[in-house]
Amino acid sequence: MSDIKLVNVTKQYDGQPLPAVDGVTLDIAAGELVVFVGPSGCGKTTTMKMINRLIEPTSGRILLGGTDVMSIEPNELRRHIGYVIQQIGLFPHMTISENIQLVPGLLGWDKTRSRRRADELLELVGLDPVAYRDRYPRQLSGGQQQRVGVARALAADPPVMLMDEPFGATDPITRERLQNEFLRLQAELRKTIVFVTHDFDEAVKLGDRIAVLEERSRIAQYDTPERILATPADDYVASFAGSATAIKRLALIPAERLPGKPLNVANGLPTLDKGGSARDVLDLMIRWGTAQVAVDGGKAVDFETICGLLGDDHGR
Amino acid sequence: MDFSRYLERRWDDLLEQAAQHAAVVALSVLLATAIGVLVGVLTWRSARASGVAISVSAALLTIPSLALLALLIPLLGLGWAPTIVALVVYSLLPIIRNTVTGLRSVDLAVLESARGMGLTGRQTVWRVQLPLAWPIILTGVRVSTQMLFAIATIAAYVAGPGLGNEILSGLAGLGSANALNKAIAGTAGVVLLALAFDFAFVGLRRVTTPRGLRV
Repeated sequence: MSDIKLVNVTKQYDGQPLPAVDGVTLDIAAGELVVFVGPSGCGKTTTMKMINRLIEPTSGRILLGGTDVMSIEPNELRRHIGYVIQQIGLFPHMTISENIQLVPGLLGWDKTRSRRRADELLELVGLDPVAYRDRYPRQLSGGQQQRVGVARALAADPPVMLMDEPFGATDPITRERLQNEFLRLQAELRKTIVFVTHDFDEAVKLGDRIAVLEERSRIAQYDTPERILATPADDYVASFAGSATAIKRLALIPAERLPGKPLNVANGLPTLDKGGSARDVLDLMIRWGTAQVAVDGGKAVDFETICGLLGDDHGR
Repeated sequence: MDFSRYLERRWDDLLEQAAQHAAVVALSVLLATAIGVLVGVLTWRSARASGVAISVSAALLTIPSLALLALLIPLLGLGWAPTIVALVVYSLLPIIRNTVTGLRSVDLAVLESARGMGLTGRQTVWRVQLPLAWPIILTGVRVSTQMLFAIATIAAYVAGPGLGNEILSGLAGLGSANALNKAIAGTAGVVLLALAFDFAFVGLRRVTTPRGLRV
């Protein structure tokens, strides 16, 4: 497991009046998924790329599991950090399996082991190895290619992953599916992940913690999605979080964890499917015009319970 | 003597000259491909270096072939050596230019992911860029080959191999019995060879283009 520490990291390009990244200090715990969210050009990608030295910082230190990245040979460093970009960048002349085996090959794994690993990863991202291993990238849809992109980044089992708007170019339905699969994957793998996006809702959905960045990658707020929605640090964060933050917070609360009254038989109440959130409960109430919804078959959740969830700041 | 009787009588000689013609072109193109791709690989990154390489190879192409061959005699004597050197010099431009273009045309996302995965610059060129650029490079090789079939006929002036000898002796003896037959046989041979090679390139392209680019 590797934690990531950014200490006063600055990137100043020659001939620019202001630094692109200005004194960022940030701790990311091992196994944590941190989302950098901010408007285009705020320096979030630049900040991320300094972690695997695709961009070299002008000053400051970046520690990976306690080791300064500047002391590691860049290519060696990058082979141990998974890297996923929006445009995917699969190698079109290599099969899906060969794409995934590339980094293990660079690290000197033997052929059988990397081939087995590629199959295992295809399985993990939901692509049948028998059907897909010998295909070429151009034969896959965008969503399938992005899954291969994630599999390829995971190939050598890196403790750290950097993801630059990986789902940004997919249609909304595919994006949602990829996000859900990715959350399931991360629950299993517990990688330390830096995830860059300009989509605040995606940040709320995926992040253990969110760093809201403003110009020059300055951190406006670094906290859990719940707390950023409940108590934005300033107007900038509030405007970024957008409207209906109370509803967005409800989406973060799983319906299974809601308190409810025991329910013996289905008594005509609308019933929420498994895996829904408090927001889905509220949605059902509004749709059906009821003050109660059956959750998980066993309990009835009240409207008052939902209203009480957000404490006393829901009138913000 | 009519043309068909001429062909019949001289068939063995003509075949041998054609084989030599094909061999000298093939050998020159192989050498030029090795050199041109290497020059392209070494210079593509810098607009200046590749610009110089392309300009120099373009300038070489403007030297009249007869003059170049004559200039090579004091250095390399007669026969195959000056012929091959001259042909290599003439075929460099399309190969270098297409190599540079091909290496540069690789999708930026592919290059970024290669870099992000920890491929060195050299690994990226040999394992990613060259395979992807190959169809473009091969197009350059094909253009060079077509050009060389014509230029190679001039090699007869320095006692080089090939069908040029047939044409040359035809032109030298204009008015004599078989002069026209010679010139026509030589020229037709060159054209047929060039067509055959061009056709072969279609197959070569199919065989050597990475499968993932054909699907």
